[in-house]
Amino acid sequence: MRRVAVSGIGVVSPLGNGAAQVLANARAGRSGVRKLEIPFASRLTAPIAATASFDDGVEFDPGKARMLDRFSMLALFAANQAVQEAHGALSDVDLERAGVFVGTGMGGTLTMDGGYQTLYGEQSDRIKPFTILMGMHNAAAAWIGIEHGLRGPNMTYSTACSSSTVAIGEAWMRVACGQLDVAIAGGAEAPLSPGSLKAWEALHTVATMDVLDPAASCRPFSRNRSGMVLGEGAAMLVIEPWDRARARGADILGEILGYGQSNDASHITRPSVEGQSAAMQAALRVAGVDRQEVDAINAHGTGTQANDRTETAAIRAVFGARADQIPISATKAMHGHLLGAAGALECVLSLLAMQHEIALPTMHLQLPDPECDLDYVPNIAREDVAAQVMISNSFAFGGTNAVLVLRRAGRESPGGIGSH
Amino acid sequence: MTTTFERLSAILMKDYKLQPDRLTLDAPLESLGIDSLGTVELLWNIEDAFQIKLPPDPVELPTMGDVVRYVDELIAKQGVVSASAPVRNPARQTT
Repeated sequence: MRRVAVSGIGVVSPLGNGAAQVLANARAGRSGVRKLEIPFASRLTAPIAATASFDDGVEFDPGKARMLDRFSMLALFAANQAVQEAHGALSDVDLERAGVFVGTGMGGTLTMDGGYQTLYGEQSDRIKPFTILMGMHNAAAAWIGIEHGLRGPNMTYSTACSSSTVAIGEAWMRVACGQLDVAIAGGAEAPLSPGSLKAWEALHTVATMDVLDPAASCRPFSRNRSGMVLGEGAAMLVIEPWDRARARGADILGEILGYGQSNDASHITRPSVEGQSAAMQAALRVAGVDRQEVDAINAHGTGTQANDRTETAAIRAVFGARADQIPISATKAMHGHLLGAAGALECVLSLLAMQHEIALPTMHLQLPDPECDLDYVPNIAREDVAAQVMISNSFAFGGTNAVLVLRRAGRESPGGIGSH
Repeated sequence: MTTTFERLSAILMKDYKLQPDRLTLDAPLESLGIDSLGTVELLWNIEDAFQIKLPPDPVELPTMGDVVRYVDELIAKQGVVSASAPVRNPARQTT
């Protein structure tokens, strides 16, 4: 297996656009959750969401914009940024050995919702001719492939909230095993359509709004947590063999050591300690990393009662007594739950946190919960955390659990840390 | 009186942000970024703006001139009174 480097990062998210801005906001504990200012908000019990600062009409010319759902626009924007940041990763590459791996939970749900509004709300038959092409889940990956001329595998994964962790993990496998020489991998989600917001509300998993401070509505691991907050955005990585990245003098941002999966095979929504811990163990096994080597964790940490309690127990099951010493960040308190893009954004935040030697805060952790008794880095970023290895957890409705194992890139020089 | 070409150009400039110098009778729609599916959408906007009823049959309209002729024929057939009626821009126009 070949070592795999991350050589480009692109992000458009509720925490800002671009790695530097996202890190600065996450480090400062700023929340991207806000009150929704759309007409439909009056029909929502909790009219809050984590929105990305991204104007469709500005970023894409009208001819192209009319063929793209917002989730594809976010994906393309992040992918283009990652490619630009990777400085030449797509040059001198066999384009048939260059792939695209995208995770999305809801695909073009805004487009589909708009179509239903036309059909049922307005009683009109004028469904946009591009509806199918905008709504299909693989649209984002397809457009990235078209934009950059990448002819290798063009894959879309839809495993609910673990989609982009799966996408990055599957891309890692293809690059590590020698099938591909470069891949764009990540996730994109634009789930803030009226139908989707209402459906999530009906599931009783979304947070109640903090009336005094809507930005603090998502409170992972806090006893008074009430659920998740939907978010939109995209995060993309450029990954390539470590040796190739070094040979072309790339600025290596981190290393993917491996990823593991498990399936709960028990309940469609209820998380399982066994399933979650099995995914973490599988990831460590594949990566060849001993659990003693894990310095920090980016938790799935949705802010639902069930997940946070279960994830705490699963981390304990994997790490034993040492679990108390591992800083655990639940960044969804700030950026909301990007569903199929969540894992990719959290992978990016983990890489940036290691690079800058910090542990990101779990914001809005107001009340300790006896069932959530680990070190969640509450409410303020921790400086001087020299983590070398992190895991990033993503768990999903349906029971598809996925975990990435990541390593910090050596600061002194690319590849300055020991090979694996 | 505003001509059909001028009114079509106004739609293309407003909704497709196309520069006026690209809009000529012999300009292929493809060259303006409007493919066959885009033409269907454009025709809906035309239907609203010109207050005409489009027949359900598919139609090939490769150039702006073809669209102008097609619209003029429909206006004549359907007895729409004035071609200079203000261009409506209902909210349904695609965004």
